[in-house]
Amino acid sequence: MMATMAIPQQKTAIETIDLSVAYNGKPALRGVSLAFPENAVTALIGPSGCGKSTLLRALNRMNDRIPNAEMTGRVLLKGRDIYDRRINLTRLRREVGMVFQKPNPFPMSIFENVALGPRLHYGLRGRALQEVVEDALRKAALWDEVKDELSKSGLALSGGQQQRLCIARMLAVQPQILLMDEPCSALDPISTQKIEELITELGKQYTVIVVTHNLQQAARISHYTGFLMYGEVVEWGETRQLFERPARAETEDYIHGRFG
Amino acid sequence: MMDTVRSGMARAGGWESLAAQRDARRARTNALLMGAFGAVGLATVLLVLALVAIITYHGAPTLSWEFLTQPPREGMSAGGVGPMIFGSVLLMLGAFLMATPLGVFGGVCLAEYGERSRLMRLMHASVAALAGTPPIVYGLFGLAIFVLKFHFGVSLLAGWCTLTLFCVPSIVLITESALKTVPAALTDGGLALGLSRWQTLWRIALPYALPGILTGVILSLGRAVGEATPVLFTASVYYSTAETTLSWETLRQPVANLPYYLAEGYRQPGVVPERLIWGACLTLILLTLLLNAGAILVRYRMRRRYL
Repeated sequence: MMATMAIPQQKTAIETIDLSVAYNGKPALRGVSLAFPENAVTALIGPSGCGKSTLLRALNRMNDRIPNAEMTGRVLLKGRDIYDRRINLTRLRREVGMVFQKPNPFPMSIFENVALGPRLHYGLRGRALQEVVEDALRKAALWDEVKDELSKSGLALSGGQQQRLCIARMLAVQPQILLMDEPCSALDPISTQKIEELITELGKQYTVIVVTHNLQQAARISHYTGFLMYGEVVEWGETRQLFERPARAETEDYIHGRFG
Repeated sequence: MMDTVRSGMARAGGWESLAAQRDARRARTNALLMGAFGAVGLATVLLVLALVAIITYHGAPTLSWEFLTQPPREGMSAGGVGPMIFGSVLLMLGAFLMATPLGVFGGVCLAEYGERSRLMRLMHASVAALAGTPPIVYGLFGLAIFVLKFHFGVSLLAGWCTLTLFCVPSIVLITESALKTVPAALTDGGLALGLSRWQTLWRIALPYALPGILTGVILSLGRAVGEATPVLFTASVYYSTAETTLSWETLRQPVANLPYYLAEGYRQPGVVPERLIWGACLTLILLTLLLNAGAILVRYRMRRRYL
């Protein structure tokens, strides 16, 4: 078993220990041990099919949804294995939020989209609920655009606004770790820029883990980067170092666009 | 190989002329087939319209406020069909209240657990078979079980139970298919937010599927209200002198209803004048039309809200 790759002098928010995932017997992740630093933005990069999304989805157990997915290894959140049978799945996903590649607002009003989580999880109503919704929308940099039309359908928003609505919806549940699976790949450049600024801002308060196939984006927004290939971590470290002085030849080839 | 193609090409005078032959043939085939589809489609629509037109032509003169509200008089030879409409609506309302929850829960069950379980696949196949079972079978089953075995007698209660059985399979199937149209991204979104499977279903998937489910429920009731055979042996009476009022007693009494009135009335020529039969026929069509219009309205208003 390989030693966990951790960033020295950084507190760990969530870590994987010798994590392997296979779909129908086909390995997607092979013994990944990574410690994600707290209150920082970590990017996961790598060619298509390298396992970066699988790794991300393993962190809040969204892989549970996929039939015939087998997993070995452990994922520790605050020292507890989230795959332990006694773990409360609802609580795990409250603490580890997720935003998907394609914005997926619920077919209800903007307010209801954000209010659903805190209402169901914390029983908030009335004034308290409104405050949480407003706070989440502000943090997601969407409040100013929607404050006068909170009762409008979430689906009436533009793609970029929808994605920020999904971020607000996640924040309203009060998570500590934010998982983002290629959050900009369905968006235009201007919306992408807004989301990137937002991620940078969120990285100050939250542990953010972003899967992206956009290398410039990874370089712009992240403090740490993991480079995956064939289900394994090839290189892992501070983003600047990984992009400017990669330790491995594969990393250098990939970030200079020689494959992938 | 290439040489023969090239020489063929040269003889024919290039790619364009090769394509031109096929283009002409394609245009002909296209015109022919699209024309045929159009003609058959038009014929279908005309057939339905003709049916409605003929019934309207014969039935409309009979239709009046009196006809719709008054009971038959003078030994069924005059008067209206008020009690039959009342009975039909009553039968339908009870079936609606009983069949909707059963059918929706059944559909949820199949949609949620259907893929992975052999039992559920078997159930799906059975329900699909039941949905295609002729209504007379439900009628006889209702007679054997509800009327005789449970001692409900020929009564409104037995009619409700039989019509419920008749409606449930199609409601199960429509609910299942409506739930399967819910995008996986929405369900994933709910689960990733920490909602339980039940909460995701109740708060996100069901509201999304609701317009489709309601439309299916209403259509299935529309079918039930026009069927004579499920209620033939279980709930019907040709003519009841009882007032069209509701009490607990009503439950144990048979009810008059439109389809049964039509069937019986037609079998006794000379007793019920033809114009009354036509009128009742038109009334039944209008009733189902009203239901279908309701279904469309419901779906339209729900879709417009947030989708």
